[in-house]
Amino acid sequence: MLRTRIIPCLQLIDQSLVKTVQFKKQGYIGDPINTVRIFNELEVDELCFLDIRATVQKRTPNIKILSEIANECFMPLSYGGGVKNIETAKEILSIGFEKIVINTAAIEDPKLITNLAKHSGNQSIIISIDIKKTLLGNYVIYSHDGTKKTKLDPLSWAKQAEELGAGELLITSMDRDGTWKGFDINIIKQISESVNIPVIANGGAGSIEDIEKIVNKGKASAVALGSMVVYQQKGMGVLVNFPDKTKLEEVL
Amino acid sequence: MIAIVDYGMGNLGSIANMLKKIGAQSIITSDLETICNANKIILPGVGSFDAAIKRIDELGLRELILEIALKSKKPLLGICLGMQLLMQGSDEGVLPGLGLIKGKVHHFRNYLQSELKIPHMGWNDVKIYNTITFTQGYNEEIRFYFLHSYFVNVEDPQDSLMKCNYGIDFDAAINKNNIYGAQFHPEKSHKYGMQFFRNFVAL
Amino acid sequence: MDLNSAFSKKICNRCIYDSDIPGISFDENGICNYCKQVEKLSIDYGTGDQKGQLMLKDIIDKIKKRGRNKKYDCVIGVSGGTDSSFLLLKAKEWGLRPLAVHYDNTWNSAIATENIRKVTNSLKIDLFTYVVNNKEADDIFRAFFLAAVPEFDASTDLGFTQVLRKTAAKYKIKYIFEGHSFIAEGITPQRNNYFDGKYIKDIHKKYGNLKMKTYPLMSFFQFMKWVLIYRQKFIRPLWYIEYSKPLAKEILKKETSWEDYGGHHLENRSAAFVHKIYHPQKFGLDNRNWSLAAEARSGVIDREEALKIYNTPLELDSELVEYVKKRLELTDKEYDKIMNGTKRFFRDFKTYKKRFERLRPLFNILAKANLVPMSFYLKYCFPLPNETK
Repeated sequence: MLRTRIIPCLQLIDQSLVKTVQFKKQGYIGDPINTVRIFNELEVDELCFLDIRATVQKRTPNIKILSEIANECFMPLSYGGGVKNIETAKEILSIGFEKIVINTAAIEDPKLITNLAKHSGNQSIIISIDIKKTLLGNYVIYSHDGTKKTKLDPLSWAKQAEELGAGELLITSMDRDGTWKGFDINIIKQISESVNIPVIANGGAGSIEDIEKIVNKGKASAVALGSMVVYQQKGMGVLVNFPDKTKLEEVL
Repeated sequence: MIAIVDYGMGNLGSIANMLKKIGAQSIITSDLETICNANKIILPGVGSFDAAIKRIDELGLRELILEIALKSKKPLLGICLGMQLLMQGSDEGVLPGLGLIKGKVHHFRNYLQSELKIPHMGWNDVKIYNTITFTQGYNEEIRFYFLHSYFVNVEDPQDSLMKCNYGIDFDAAINKNNIYGAQFHPEKSHKYGMQFFRNFVAL
Repeated sequence: MDLNSAFSKKICNRCIYDSDIPGISFDENGICNYCKQVEKLSIDYGTGDQKGQLMLKDIIDKIKKRGRNKKYDCVIGVSGGTDSSFLLLKAKEWGLRPLAVHYDNTWNSAIATENIRKVTNSLKIDLFTYVVNNKEADDIFRAFFLAAVPEFDASTDLGFTQVLRKTAAKYKIKYIFEGHSFIAEGITPQRNNYFDGKYIKDIHKKYGNLKMKTYPLMSFFQFMKWVLIYRQKFIRPLWYIEYSKPLAKEILKKETSWEDYGGHHLENRSAAFVHKIYHPQKFGLDNRNWSLAAEARSGVIDREEALKIYNTPLELDSELVEYVKKRLELTDKEYDKIMNGTKRFFRDFKTYKKRFERLRPLFNILAKANLVPMSFYLKYCFPLPNETK
């Protein structure tokens, strides 16, 4: 039976790991390579690395660090952050990453999705969509690491991304990021039911119950964990960890 | 020495990495002579069927691979798209496969109920279909990481080694004489992948 | 077989320390002074008997009283290892409300972080972590490596202590628990593990590149502030009670699913590098005798068994070597050059050692009052035996 993937989603800023809260406040987490080593030893399903400031700081991906990260990993890896063209995507795929995550670049140039799909296959592209809920309860898409409001509607953009060739969608709730309050089940369910490709829920995980809810009620195909895998508990010290596998198997 | 064929598509570094971890020597190469001299060959692959076949033909690899597989009979392992290339052809493209194992490659979309998402992506359980030395050494339930939209069904059941179910049963691993194929990514399947490679290295 | 003549150097009749250990001497029964020191500590601290129990109870009562209206009443430094994990368990048993504190030098292994998680979560203990910037940590490690001194991991040891003290001060806690046990670990020989803030600063100045922004350096002034103004007390509960490491491991496994990592301090990769590779290959030191001597001394294993283990060569860990080269950005050539090259010692650099020695009477008083650990006093305030190699 296909298991639901639980994916630690780690935020890189240049050469250090951090964790944001609502896309703003940052806590320092540690060394990316050692952290990857730990997740590898814990045999996690998959890992996702996002260099969250790359586009805004006009940086390109740090291939050296990414190679070192890939060398440590015996599970699937995705990378996102500052990928704007096919050449960069191809380079990252060739050093040991299975998937590329694209956010702003896809909004600015949707053809990028199709071109990448043609060369490396749909399964190598994850389109990342950052969503904020307005006071009126509507959902709005932001680009540039949550700093620029767009006029895109989440459901339409999600469907369009699928048509253009995306293999998977990473949906992040900006409001819930780093809060341990639980996922935004509503928007995840809406998007998941409107596309045929897998949807990864991101933003807000605080407990195994949250994971169970977003999978069963929110229809998420996979679940990304941020704060939960780098802190001992909410408000407490940095501790790289992964939820108990037996407990996960019980609820999923 | 294991040669990992570099025709420009595939996660070569990861394969080399896992082989290194289990103590096996390998070389990533597109050089015909080096491939010829290796004692085992791995054919990786990520991307589209036709693009891969085109590259293989351009580099003159088709004849070489057929020669190694059928005449010198060295162990050959196709991974993911690499396994699909061993077949006669694919729904995905128009070009002929290597035809080393009888069977075709189909897209999941024609066979699945609507709630199952495509690509088949994630960790899935695998059942051993034909027990041989190559399928030994796993302690418990076996699972691997899959990442594909097309699947293989071999014509002759004897050629099927491991099966997986995603809406329908399909071949997760295949084998005919010295030719092997894995639809999943052993190089990204932790200890299960390591056992798979160990069995290949031991051939 | 007469083990003493077989190895043509004198070996203690109780533990396995031999005449190569600096500062060692033997009495008329062939028992070494390290064993004697442990004997004396056992008497002073009433280890495992009623005297020890009463002393510890007294301390625990004081801790509870002082911590009454605070969130936590004591701080416990944790590493994921046996001793600190066991302390967390005992602290809960004694009715204390500890805050677990960890200094993350970014070289932790999965076993260490997993053990910390399992123990703090199952005992419902809050964890505070201080993570140093990974590039800074590597820069300091690299500086020590290039300096070719034995104390590669000094920055971790001192950083940990500084973080413990700083956290205790932040939460207004006076009592800091340490998981050292002289019965289980013995007294480490006084050589090749010297560290203080000035030493780290001097080596970093001479061989480091990055400015120290996040590394918690403890200067002498800082140290005296902690000791005299904050008056934090270091308590070593394992010095008072019956403590068997193998038994502790069993209890931990049962109660918290804690996992054994195979060897003292090997849960952190920088310490593992020191003990498995750096000390043996560059300095000809095999530190396994620290714990083996303690185990022989306390009867956990036979002395002959301990000697046998000690005389089997260390396994080579080539993955760890690759990891170190990667983190410290050293080519194979650079790494080999240092490993096979000059050896330096702390006396080749600026340290606070002479100052500590001059202030011995003061520290004697402070140690008796538990304001500095007794082991600190014994190690820092006396001149070390000469290094010969």
